[in-house]
Amino acid sequence: MAEIIGGVGTSHVPSIGIAIDKGLVDTPDWKPFFDGYIPGKQWMADKKPDVAVVIFNDHGNTFFLDRVPTFAVGVAESYTPVDEGWGPRAVPDFEGAVDLSWHLVDQLVDNHFDPMVCREIEVDHGLQVPMELFFGRPEHWPVKVVPIWVNTIQYPIPTPQRCWEMGKLLRKAIESFPGDERVVIMGTGGLSHQLQGSRAGFINREADQAWLDGIANDYEKYRDMTREDYVEQFGSEGAELIMWLVMRAAMDDKVELKHKHYYAPASMTGAGMVVLENA
Amino acid sequence: MSDPTQIPETPLFDRERSKQGYRMNKMAMSLGKPENRAAFKADEEAFLDSYGLSAEEKAAVMARDWHRMVALGGNLFFILKIAAVDPAVMTEIGAAQAQMEHADFLKQRLGKE
Ligand SMILES: [Fe+2]
Repeated sequence: MAEIIGGVGTSHVPSIGIAIDKGLVDTPDWKPFFDGYIPGKQWMADKKPDVAVVIFNDHGNTFFLDRVPTFAVGVAESYTPVDEGWGPRAVPDFEGAVDLSWHLVDQLVDNHFDPMVCREIEVDHGLQVPMELFFGRPEHWPVKVVPIWVNTIQYPIPTPQRCWEMGKLLRKAIESFPGDERVVIMGTGGLSHQLQGSRAGFINREADQAWLDGIANDYEKYRDMTREDYVEQFGSEGAELIMWLVMRAAMDDKVELKHKHYYAPASMTGAGMVVLENA
Repeated sequence: MSDPTQIPETPLFDRERSKQGYRMNKMAMSLGKPENRAAFKADEEAFLDSYGLSAEEKAAVMARDWHRMVALGGNLFFILKIAAVDPAVMTEIGAAQAQMEHADFLKQRLGKE
Protein backbone atom coordinates (compact mmCIF):
# COMPACT_ATOMS: atom_id res chain seq x y z
CA MET A 1 0.00 0.00 0.00
CA ALA A 2 1.11 3.58 -0.65
CA GLU A 3 2.71 5.32 2.31
CA ILE A 4 2.71 8.94 3.49
CA ILE A 5 6.37 9.72 4.21
CA GLY A 6 5.79 13.22 5.51
CA GLY A 7 3.86 16.44 5.37
CA VAL A 8 5.05 19.84 4.30
CA GLY A 9 3.41 23.21 4.90
CA THR A 10 4.74 26.03 2.75
CA SER A 11 4.17 29.45 1.26
CA HIS A 12 3.46 29.70 -2.44
CA VAL A 13 3.87 33.47 -2.98
CA PRO A 14 4.24 34.22 -6.72
CA SER A 15 7.10 36.67 -6.11
CA ILE A 16 9.18 33.67 -5.00
CA GLY A 17 8.92 32.21 -8.49
CA ILE A 18 9.67 35.59 -10.05
CA ALA A 19 12.74 35.96 -7.82
CA ILE A 20 13.99 32.57 -9.11
CA ASP A 21 13.22 33.56 -12.72
CA LYS A 22 15.10 36.85 -12.37
CA GLY A 23 18.11 35.33 -10.60
CA LEU A 24 17.47 37.25 -7.37
CA VAL A 25 17.88 34.25 -5.03
CA ASP A 26 21.20 35.52 -3.62
CA THR A 27 20.21 39.18 -3.25
CA PRO A 28 19.87 40.60 0.29
CA ASP A 29 16.07 40.79 -0.03
CA TRP A 30 15.71 37.10 -0.88
CA LYS A 31 18.75 35.17 0.37
CA PRO A 32 17.53 34.72 3.96
CA PHE A 33 14.23 33.45 2.65
CA PHE A 34 15.71 30.88 0.26
CA ASP A 35 18.47 29.82 2.67
CA GLY A 36 15.83 28.77 5.17
CA TYR A 37 14.48 26.25 2.68
CA ILE A 38 17.80 24.41 2.26
CA PRO A 39 17.06 21.89 5.07
CA GLY A 40 13.59 21.27 3.63
CA LYS A 41 15.03 20.64 0.20
CA GLN A 42 17.61 18.28 1.69
CA TRP A 43 14.90 16.44 3.61
CA MET A 44 12.97 15.96 0.38
CA ALA A 45 16.08 14.72 -1.45
CA ASP A 46 16.78 12.21 1.34
CA LYS A 47 13.19 10.99 1.58
CA LYS A 48 12.82 10.45 -2.18
CA PRO A 49 9.03 10.53 -2.49
CA ASP A 50 7.44 9.24 -5.70
CA VAL A 51 4.34 11.41 -5.57
CA ALA A 52 3.47 14.85 -4.20
CA VAL A 53 -0.16 15.51 -3.34
CA VAL A 54 -0.30 19.30 -3.47
CA ILE A 55 -3.15 21.21 -1.80
CA PHE A 56 -3.38 24.74 -3.14
CA ASN A 57 -5.73 27.36 -4.49
CA ASP A 58 -5.97 28.86 -7.92
CA HIS A 59 -5.58 32.66 -8.04
CA GLY A 60 -7.83 33.61 -10.91
CA ASN A 61 -5.55 31.91 -13.41
CA THR A 62 -7.19 28.57 -14.17
CA PHE A 63 -10.69 28.95 -12.75
CA PHE A 64 -12.75 32.05 -13.51
CA LEU A 65 -15.88 33.05 -11.60
CA ASP A 66 -18.08 31.32 -14.17
CA ARG A 67 -17.54 28.09 -12.22
CA VAL A 68 -15.98 27.90 -8.79
CA PRO A 69 -15.36 24.41 -7.41
CA THR A 70 -15.00 24.36 -3.63
CA PHE A 71 -12.67 21.38 -4.03
CA ALA A 72 -11.22 19.97 -7.25
CA VAL A 73 -8.90 17.02 -7.93
CA GLY A 74 -6.70 16.68 -11.01
CA VAL A 75 -6.65 13.33 -12.83
CA ALA A 76 -4.62 14.50 -15.85
CA GLU A 77 -1.53 12.84 -17.27
CA SER A 78 0.28 16.15 -17.30
CA TYR A 79 -0.17 19.70 -16.01
CA THR A 80 1.28 22.71 -17.80
CA PRO A 81 2.12 25.92 -15.90
CA VAL A 82 -0.57 28.47 -16.79
CA ASP A 83 0.21 31.88 -18.29
CA GLU A 84 -0.55 34.32 -15.46
CA GLY A 85 -0.18 37.35 -17.73
CA TRP A 86 3.60 37.51 -17.97
CA GLY A 87 3.90 34.71 -20.51
CA PRO A 88 5.02 31.14 -19.88
CA ARG A 89 7.67 30.46 -17.21
CA ALA A 90 10.65 28.17 -17.75
CA VAL A 91 9.10 25.57 -15.46
CA PRO A 92 8.72 22.01 -16.78
CA ASP A 93 5.30 20.37 -17.02
CA PHE A 94 4.23 18.29 -14.05
CA GLU A 95 3.53 14.61 -14.66
CA GLY A 96 0.29 13.44 -13.09
CA ALA A 97 -0.02 10.38 -10.84
CA VAL A 98 -3.13 9.34 -12.77
CA ASP A 99 -3.98 6.07 -11.03
CA LEU A 100 -3.56 7.50 -7.55
CA SER A 101 -5.61 10.55 -8.56
CA TRP A 102 -8.52 8.39 -9.70
CA HIS A 103 -8.25 6.27 -6.58
CA LEU A 104 -8.45 9.40 -4.43
CA VAL A 105 -11.49 10.57 -6.40
CA ASP A 106 -13.18 7.17 -5.93
CA GLN A 107 -12.49 7.15 -2.23
CA LEU A 108 -13.53 10.75 -1.67
CA VAL A 109 -16.84 10.34 -3.46
CA ASP A 110 -17.55 6.97 -1.83
CA ASN A 111 -17.09 8.72 1.49
CA HIS A 112 -19.44 11.59 0.60
CA PHE A 113 -16.80 14.15 -0.28
CA ASP A 114 -17.53 15.30 -3.80
CA PRO A 115 -14.83 17.27 -5.60
CA MET A 116 -14.83 18.48 -9.18
CA VAL A 117 -12.72 16.08 -11.27
CA CYS A 118 -10.35 17.78 -13.74
CA ARG A 119 -9.06 15.87 -16.76
CA GLU A 120 -7.41 18.74 -18.64
CA ILE A 121 -6.23 21.75 -16.63
CA GLU A 122 -3.24 24.03 -16.07
CA VAL A 123 -1.66 24.92 -12.73
CA ASP A 124 -0.67 28.33 -11.37
CA HIS A 125 1.99 29.48 -8.89
CA GLY A 126 0.05 27.83 -6.07
CA LEU A 127 1.47 24.48 -7.17
CA GLN A 128 4.56 25.64 -9.07
CA VAL A 129 6.22 27.59 -6.26
CA PRO A 130 6.06 24.88 -3.56
CA MET A 131 7.54 22.41 -6.06
CA GLU A 132 10.36 24.84 -6.90
CA LEU A 133 11.04 25.50 -3.21
CA PHE A 134 11.40 21.81 -2.37
CA PHE A 135 12.72 20.33 -5.62
CA GLY A 136 14.57 23.26 -7.21
CA ARG A 137 14.32 23.71 -10.96
CA PRO A 138 15.16 20.30 -12.44
CA GLU A 139 14.74 19.43 -16.09
CA HIS A 140 12.19 16.79 -15.03
CA TRP A 141 10.39 16.79 -11.71
CA PRO A 142 11.50 13.82 -9.59
CA VAL A 143 7.90 13.20 -8.44
CA LYS A 144 4.50 12.86 -10.04
CA VAL A 145 1.78 15.10 -8.70
CA VAL A 146 -1.84 14.99 -7.59
CA PRO A 147 -3.12 18.58 -7.58
CA ILE A 148 -5.99 19.38 -5.23
CA TRP A 149 -7.55 22.82 -5.50
CA VAL A 150 -9.39 24.56 -2.67
CA ASN A 151 -11.45 27.68 -3.33
CA THR A 152 -10.09 30.49 -1.18
CA ILE A 153 -11.11 33.34 -3.49
CA GLN A 154 -14.89 33.62 -3.64
CA TYR A 155 -16.99 33.31 -0.49
CA PRO A 156 -18.18 31.02 0.83
CA ILE A 157 -14.77 29.36 1.06
CA PRO A 158 -14.79 25.96 2.81
CA THR A 159 -14.60 25.91 6.59
CA PRO A 160 -11.33 24.98 8.30
CA GLN A 161 -13.19 21.97 9.74
CA ARG A 162 -14.09 20.75 6.24
CA CYS A 163 -10.45 21.07 5.19
CA TRP A 164 -9.58 18.96 8.21
CA GLU A 165 -12.08 16.28 7.22
CA MET A 166 -10.66 16.24 3.73
CA GLY A 167 -7.18 15.57 5.12
CA LYS A 168 -8.46 12.68 7.24
CA LEU A 169 -10.10 11.09 4.22
CA LEU A 170 -7.11 11.68 1.98
CA ARG A 171 -4.93 9.77 4.37
CA LYS A 172 -7.22 6.75 4.33
CA ALA A 173 -7.48 6.98 0.57
CA ILE A 174 -3.71 7.21 0.02
CA GLU A 175 -3.02 4.36 2.43
CA SER A 176 -5.54 2.13 0.68
CA PHE A 177 -3.92 2.59 -2.73
CA PRO A 178 -2.49 -0.71 -3.99
CA GLY A 179 1.09 0.22 -4.77
CA ASP A 180 4.33 1.02 -3.00
CA GLU A 181 4.38 4.74 -3.76
CA ARG A 182 6.02 7.03 -1.24
CA VAL A 183 3.76 10.06 -0.95
CA VAL A 184 4.54 13.50 0.42
CA ILE A 185 1.55 15.71 1.13
CA MET A 186 2.01 19.46 0.74
CA GLY A 187 -0.36 22.04 2.24
CA THR A 188 0.37 25.44 0.76
CA GLY A 189 -0.51 29.13 1.02
CA GLY A 190 -0.15 31.98 3.52
CA LEU A 191 1.26 32.98 5.79
CA SER A 192 -0.28 36.25 6.94
CA HIS A 193 -1.02 38.74 4.18
CA GLN A 194 -3.71 41.02 2.91
CA LEU A 195 -3.70 42.46 -0.59
CA GLN A 196 -7.01 44.33 -0.71
CA GLY A 197 -8.81 47.00 1.27
CA SER A 198 -7.29 49.63 3.51
CA ARG A 199 -5.79 46.97 5.81
CA ALA A 200 -3.61 45.89 2.83
CA GLY A 201 -0.04 45.16 3.82
CA PHE A 202 -1.19 43.56 7.07
CA ILE A 203 1.40 41.04 8.30
CA ASN A 204 1.08 39.33 11.69
CA ARG A 205 4.54 38.03 12.52
CA GLU A 206 3.52 36.82 15.97
CA ALA A 207 0.57 34.82 14.69
CA ASP A 208 2.71 33.38 11.88
CA GLN A 209 5.41 32.23 14.31
CA ALA A 210 2.81 30.73 16.64
CA TRP A 211 1.27 28.90 13.67
CA LEU A 212 4.61 27.42 12.60
CA ASP A 213 5.24 26.25 16.17
CA GLY A 214 1.70 25.06 16.83
CA ILE A 215 0.60 23.34 13.65
CA ALA A 216 2.68 20.29 14.59
CA ASN A 217 1.38 19.30 18.02
CA ASP A 218 -0.92 22.08 19.11
CA TYR A 219 -3.16 22.01 16.08
CA GLU A 220 -6.56 21.77 17.77
CA LYS A 221 -7.04 25.50 18.11
CA TYR A 222 -6.32 26.03 14.42
CA ARG A 223 -8.63 23.20 13.41
CA ASP A 224 -11.41 24.71 15.52
CA MET A 225 -11.04 28.35 14.42
CA THR A 226 -13.65 30.00 12.19
CA ARG A 227 -12.95 31.50 8.79
CA GLU A 228 -13.41 34.89 10.41
CA ASP A 229 -10.67 34.06 12.93
CA TYR A 230 -8.33 33.21 10.06
CA VAL A 231 -9.08 36.46 8.25
CA GLU A 232 -8.64 38.48 11.43
CA GLN A 233 -5.38 36.86 12.49
CA PHE A 234 -3.76 36.23 9.13
CA GLY A 235 -5.41 38.75 6.76
CA SER A 236 -7.92 38.21 3.99
CA GLU A 237 -5.53 36.31 1.73
CA GLY A 238 -3.72 34.78 4.72
CA ALA A 239 -6.85 32.68 5.23
CA GLU A 240 -5.21 30.40 2.64
CA LEU A 241 -3.60 28.76 5.66
CA ILE A 242 -6.71 26.57 5.97
CA MET A 243 -5.09 24.47 3.25
CA TRP A 244 -2.29 23.48 5.62
CA LEU A 245 -5.00 21.82 7.73
CA VAL A 246 -5.64 19.30 4.94
CA MET A 247 -1.99 18.27 5.14
CA ARG A 248 -1.92 18.27 8.95
CA ALA A 249 -5.05 16.13 9.21
CA ALA A 250 -3.45 13.56 6.91
CA MET A 251 -0.67 13.02 9.47
CA ASP A 252 -0.66 11.24 12.85
CA ASP A 253 -2.09 12.88 15.93
CA LYS A 254 1.48 13.34 17.20
CA VAL A 255 4.13 14.41 14.72
CA GLU A 256 7.75 15.41 14.77
CA LEU A 257 8.54 18.94 13.60
CA LYS A 258 11.66 18.26 11.53
CA HIS A 259 12.22 21.70 10.02
CA LYS A 260 10.77 25.16 10.34
CA HIS A 261 11.51 28.47 8.67
CA TYR A 262 10.02 31.95 8.79
CA TYR A 263 10.81 35.12 6.91
CA ALA A 264 8.84 38.35 6.43
CA PRO A 265 8.09 40.09 4.26
CA ALA A 266 8.37 38.11 1.03
CA SER A 267 6.79 40.70 -1.25
CA MET A 268 3.80 41.61 1.02
CA THR A 269 3.57 38.27 2.80
CA GLY A 270 4.80 36.45 5.86
CA ALA A 271 6.50 33.39 4.39
CA GLY A 272 7.88 30.07 5.53
CA MET A 273 7.50 26.35 5.92
CA VAL A 274 7.36 23.32 8.19
CA VAL A 275 8.36 19.73 7.53
CA LEU A 276 6.51 17.12 9.58
CA GLU A 277 6.98 13.39 10.03
CA ASN A 278 4.76 10.96 11.86
CA ALA A 279 6.30 10.47 15.29
CA MET B 1 -21.49 31.10 10.27
CA SER B 2 -19.97 34.26 11.66
CA ASP B 3 -19.83 36.95 9.02
CA PRO B 4 -16.27 37.34 7.74
CA THR B 5 -17.26 40.37 5.68
CA GLN B 6 -17.47 42.45 8.84
CA ILE B 7 -13.77 42.72 9.64
CA PRO B 8 -12.81 46.37 9.29
CA GLU B 9 -10.94 47.47 6.18
CA THR B 10 -11.16 43.97 4.75
CA PRO B 11 -13.36 43.56 1.69
CA LEU B 12 -13.93 39.86 1.18
CA PHE B 13 -14.98 38.64 -2.20
CA ASP B 14 -18.55 37.71 -1.43
CA ARG B 15 -21.49 37.25 -3.77
CA GLU B 16 -22.21 40.98 -4.04
CA ARG B 17 -18.67 41.82 -5.07
CA SER B 18 -18.48 38.84 -7.36
CA LYS B 19 -21.66 39.94 -9.14
CA GLN B 20 -20.66 43.59 -9.21
CA GLY B 21 -17.15 43.05 -10.54
CA TYR B 22 -17.90 40.18 -12.91
CA ARG B 23 -17.28 42.01 -16.21
CA MET B 24 -14.15 43.80 -15.02
CA ASN B 25 -12.74 40.57 -13.63
CA LYS B 26 -13.63 38.69 -16.81
CA MET B 27 -11.83 41.31 -18.89
CA ALA B 28 -8.77 41.05 -16.61
CA MET B 29 -8.86 37.23 -16.63
CA SER B 30 -8.68 37.28 -20.43
CA LEU B 31 -5.26 38.97 -20.22
CA GLY B 32 -3.84 35.54 -19.46
CA LYS B 33 -3.87 35.04 -23.25
CA PRO B 34 -1.21 36.82 -25.33
CA GLU B 35 -3.65 37.80 -28.10
CA ASN B 36 -5.83 39.60 -25.55
CA ARG B 37 -2.82 41.38 -24.09
CA ALA B 38 -1.98 42.58 -27.60
CA ALA B 39 -5.56 43.81 -28.13
CA PHE B 40 -5.53 45.58 -24.76
CA LYS B 41 -2.28 47.34 -25.66
CA ALA B 42 -3.43 48.25 -29.19
CA ASP B 43 -6.72 49.91 -28.16
CA GLU B 44 -7.46 49.73 -24.48
CA GLU B 45 -10.81 51.49 -24.56
CA ALA B 46 -12.16 49.32 -27.37
CA PHE B 47 -10.95 46.26 -25.51
CA LEU B 48 -12.73 47.32 -22.32
CA ASP B 49 -15.87 48.09 -24.34
CA SER B 50 -15.81 44.61 -25.80
CA TYR B 51 -16.27 43.28 -22.24
CA GLY B 52 -19.11 45.73 -21.54
CA LEU B 53 -17.41 47.70 -18.78
CA SER B 54 -19.35 50.69 -17.44
CA ALA B 55 -17.93 54.21 -17.79
CA GLU B 56 -16.95 54.14 -14.13
CA GLU B 57 -15.19 50.79 -14.46
CA LYS B 58 -13.40 51.90 -17.61
CA ALA B 59 -12.20 55.08 -15.93
CA ALA B 60 -10.84 53.11 -12.97
CA VAL B 61 -9.01 50.63 -15.20
CA MET B 62 -7.62 53.27 -17.56
CA ALA B 63 -6.37 55.38 -14.63
CA ARG B 64 -4.81 52.23 -13.07
CA ASP B 65 -6.74 53.21 -9.97
CA TRP B 66 -6.21 49.98 -8.00
CA HIS B 67 -8.23 51.22 -5.05
CA ARG B 68 -11.22 52.13 -7.19
CA MET B 69 -11.09 48.88 -9.17
CA VAL B 70 -11.42 46.89 -5.95
CA ALA B 71 -14.16 49.23 -4.70
CA LEU B 72 -16.07 48.41 -7.90
CA GLY B 73 -15.85 44.66 -7.32
CA GLY B 74 -12.50 43.97 -8.93
CA ASN B 75 -10.66 41.10 -7.27
CA LEU B 76 -6.94 41.65 -6.98
CA PHE B 77 -6.02 38.24 -8.36
CA PHE B 78 -7.80 39.02 -11.62
CA ILE B 79 -6.90 42.69 -11.96
CA LEU B 80 -3.24 41.92 -11.24
CA LYS B 81 -3.05 40.77 -14.85
CA ILE B 82 -3.41 44.44 -15.85
CA ALA B 83 -0.13 44.97 -14.01
CA ALA B 84 1.41 42.31 -16.21
CA VAL B 85 0.44 44.23 -19.35
CA ASP B 86 1.33 47.65 -17.92
CA PRO B 87 3.91 46.81 -15.25
CA ALA B 88 3.26 47.96 -11.70
CA VAL B 89 5.02 46.77 -8.55
CA MET B 90 2.95 44.68 -6.13
CA THR B 91 3.80 46.89 -3.17
CA GLU B 92 2.68 49.98 -5.12
CA ILE B 93 -0.65 48.31 -5.71
CA GLY B 94 -0.76 47.48 -1.99
CA ALA B 95 0.02 51.07 -1.07
CA ALA B 96 -2.83 52.20 -3.34
CA GLN B 97 -5.18 49.80 -1.50
CA ALA B 98 -4.12 51.27 1.82
CA GLN B 99 -4.19 54.78 0.29
CA MET B 100 -0.69 55.42 1.55
CA GLU B 101 2.51 56.76 -0.01
CA HIS B 102 4.62 53.85 -1.23
CA ALA B 103 7.57 54.64 1.06
CA ASP B 104 5.29 54.95 4.10
CA PHE B 105 3.55 51.71 3.19
CA LEU B 106 6.83 49.81 2.93
CA LYS B 107 7.95 51.12 6.29
CA GLN B 108 4.77 51.12 8.33
CA ARG B 109 2.99 48.07 6.97
CA LEU B 110 5.79 45.81 5.79
CA GLY B 111 8.46 46.91 8.27
CA LYS B 112 11.00 47.66 5.57
CA GLU B 113 13.52 50.47 6.06
FE1 LIG C 1 -2.08 31.99 -2.68
